[in-house]
Amino acid sequence: MHGTAAAGAASNPETGAPRRLFLSAQGIAKAYGGVKALNGVSLALREGEVHGLVGANGAGKSTLIKILAGLTAADAGRITIDGAPVTIAAPHEASALGMSFIHQELAFIPEMSVIENIMLGLPKPSRLGFIDWRAIARDIAPIAERVGLNTPFHAKARSLSTAEAWLVNICRALVRKSRLLVMDEPTASLSAREAERLLAIVEDLSRSGVAVLYVSHRLDEILRLCHSVTAFRDGESVADLSGDALTRERLMEAIVGGNVETMPAEARANHDRGTVALKVRGLARAPMVRGVDFELHHGEVLGIGGLVGAGRSELARLVYGADRPHEGAMELAGKPYAPSSPTAAVRSGLGFVPEERRSEGLILTKSVAFNMQLANLANIVRSPALPLIDTRKRRSQTEAIVKSLAVKTPDTETTVGRLSGGNQQKVVIGRWLLRRPNILILDEPTRGVDVGARGEIHRLIREIAAEGMAVMVISSEPDELPDLCDRILVMVEGRITRELTGEDMTRNAIVSASYASAA
Amino acid sequence: MTDISTSHRRLSPGTKAGLAFFARYATILGLIAMIVAFSLLSPRAFPTLLNFTNVLNQASLAIIIASGLTMAVIVGELDLSVGFAASLHGILVTGLIVATGLPIPVAILVVLAVGALVGLVNGLVVTKLKVNSVIATLGIGTILTGLAFAYSAGVPIVSGVPEAFLEISLGRWLWGIPNNIVVMAVVVVALWVLVERTSIGQEIQAVGGNPAAARLAGISVDRIKILGFVISGMCAALTGILLASRLGSGTASAADGYLLTAFAAVFLGSATLRDGEFHILGTVIGALVIAVGFNGLNIFGAPTFSQYMLQGGILIVAVGLSSLGRSIAER
Ligand SMILES: Nc1ncnc2c1ncn2[C@@H]1O[C@H](COP(=O)(O)OP(=O)(O)OP(=O)(O)O)[C@@H](O)[C@H]1O
Ligand SMILES: [Mg+2]
Repeated sequence: MHGTAAAGAASNPETGAPRRLFLSAQGIAKAYGGVKALNGVSLALREGEVHGLVGANGAGKSTLIKILAGLTAADAGRITIDGAPVTIAAPHEASALGMSFIHQELAFIPEMSVIENIMLGLPKPSRLGFIDWRAIARDIAPIAERVGLNTPFHAKARSLSTAEAWLVNICRALVRKSRLLVMDEPTASLSAREAERLLAIVEDLSRSGVAVLYVSHRLDEILRLCHSVTAFRDGESVADLSGDALTRERLMEAIVGGNVETMPAEARANHDRGTVALKVRGLARAPMVRGVDFELHHGEVLGIGGLVGAGRSELARLVYGADRPHEGAMELAGKPYAPSSPTAAVRSGLGFVPEERRSEGLILTKSVAFNMQLANLANIVRSPALPLIDTRKRRSQTEAIVKSLAVKTPDTETTVGRLSGGNQQKVVIGRWLLRRPNILILDEPTRGVDVGARGEIHRLIREIAAEGMAVMVISSEPDELPDLCDRILVMVEGRITRELTGEDMTRNAIVSASYASAA
Repeated sequence: MTDISTSHRRLSPGTKAGLAFFARYATILGLIAMIVAFSLLSPRAFPTLLNFTNVLNQASLAIIIASGLTMAVIVGELDLSVGFAASLHGILVTGLIVATGLPIPVAILVVLAVGALVGLVNGLVVTKLKVNSVIATLGIGTILTGLAFAYSAGVPIVSGVPEAFLEISLGRWLWGIPNNIVVMAVVVVALWVLVERTSIGQEIQAVGGNPAAARLAGISVDRIKILGFVISGMCAALTGILLASRLGSGTASAADGYLLTAFAAVFLGSATLRDGEFHILGTVIGALVIAVGFNGLNIFGAPTFSQYMLQGGILIVAVGLSSLGRSIAER
């Protein structure tokens, strides 16, 4: 399962020489109001080593990274670099100490060009008082090539795909000659191939002596990439694993704090597929969706696999009325269905968990309860004629979902923007579990969600399907769909090119179908 | 999303808590400080029940129009037509009573309906034609001014206004509370309940917070925005009617000045109690700060120009406080 990376943590696999300690953090604590995000964690990072950081949603991983980056201050603890104590009071101080960060919520300036973003905050060579962009471009070109960034340097950053945005950020780190690169869930929004390339870049960096701190919920990646791993649970470091101790079982145990039950195979398909809930014929909106036909049944979980950019999210938006199709028709339980807006779709019994939770899913300044109840308001008013909110109903319903999804939040009135990334995702899913539509479309439902909660979300999806709901799941993670779905469609360049059922639903079948060109 | 690269100077937790407290309570503290200062400086004229009732009575119209404007800004739009609209409605209501001879209640209902119609047009232009709300409402406000001049042919309607119409604004309710205050209280309570306690209010807040997410949650964003403009339009109409009744005449541009007052109140209010979020209660407090400030200036016989300076200054301080509150909340 793990490759070369499982070699000894404190020594270089090639030369056998011990690796030098770059950064050490001890007893780091941080509380937000009453919430203890970190309660005295420790971490040691060595040159040329990829160090994994794992833990459930809200365990404190991003918080530690924000402290190292100088974005927030620790309440207690000690950080040393090359053995000397340091204080990191602002982001530019972190970067002067040789650290680069790629945060969970990517940061770049959309209106600036790629090259301006790469050089942001760095001294730039100038000629006659003007910044010499040509010289800069010449210097950067080999670095861009090394990471495989093919976009023109003058392109606006807003036009970048998520994968390209990551590459730009990595370039930035390389241009700065950083000694430590910190990545918070880098592959969460990348396709399989892009993720593969990123992993190769990370391996390359570590060979050249850069220390990497790598945060991920994907254990396969951690096992393949990391020389050593620290696990956080509830703001404490609970395990440091390396060498032979670094196994999937030990990781799971450290993250969840006990044994995790993986979903038994018979949990699925032990019920009959129901009647057709949604029928789609020739649906098209060029250039992303180019003639799609499929049927979705009550009681089934239908997976849509494929690469990022294959048109899957765009298809979901057409079905949900967020965009209007140019061609094609849909039927809902046998009746024509042409939603003019998401409002109309919701009224017809659909629900949708969008891909981008922060920009499309949540009102970040509002509370957990507010966000969860947004599609369920009709059920928590005292009467349709007098639409006053029944606050008791609102709280008890929200609490029930918070509990069943294990959302880590002090209470239901906490501002959603203060939750950790994975917990925010659970809130968006919780919204539709409350409303219980007839058809639920989920776009990347477990992005950034920890292993325990991921199993729980899968179980809930199976459960609502067993109750008769028709569920459509889009996922770029090839491992996710076979576990979860009754049937999988693979989309390539705006068309459905493959249907997989039963034994054929494997990771490999999805991946190879995704890369086959749409004939 | 960019604060990592633009590298804010970070605040220590103590400074941050202090700033947040300042941004939240500055308006309320300012209000209390003004009341205390004026009371000490002018113990005979200022701290009397009569004067307080007067201030509140004066402030009522501003509070009504500002509460309406709050509905437009909560849904994420600006309504610059409110002042001009109120001027038109003042002329219209007197015209309908004096020239057309409509019974007073009918005239009032007609004008309220016209107010709603103006809001509807604002809302449709913004949501369907996708014109930026600043431009749309400024344009429509200017058209309304034109209509006001056309309707009155530039001459104020002064004679023949019936006593009963003046009585609306002059009259008193139980315990001698002026009618204006009663009307204002009803409007404020109704809007507060609408925003804070009803399902429509949740949708209104969602649209203001993140329209893209609200839309994907199944909320009809356009309809909610239009509703915000309609309520704003009706509140402007109500203010126009009450102002005409108080002045005893319909005069073009009589209510134009309310635009600035309303904006100052709304932004001052958004920095009150909540971190840069628009809300009805805040707007009321904001309007009171302005009213008490004016009252104080009047009592001390400050010249008219100082009122303009106060109002402009308050607007800038208000917007500053409001964005300070928001940026602290984000950190
Ligand atoms: N700005 C903030 N205000 C209040 N609480 C916060 C804030 N940021 C984080 N927290 C809390 O601190 C805890 C740790 O959050 P953190 O983001 O570090 O988790 P994480 O391990 O990165 O989780 P995930 O895997 O979901 O990204 C959570 O309980 C979170 O709610
Ligand atoms: Mg995180």
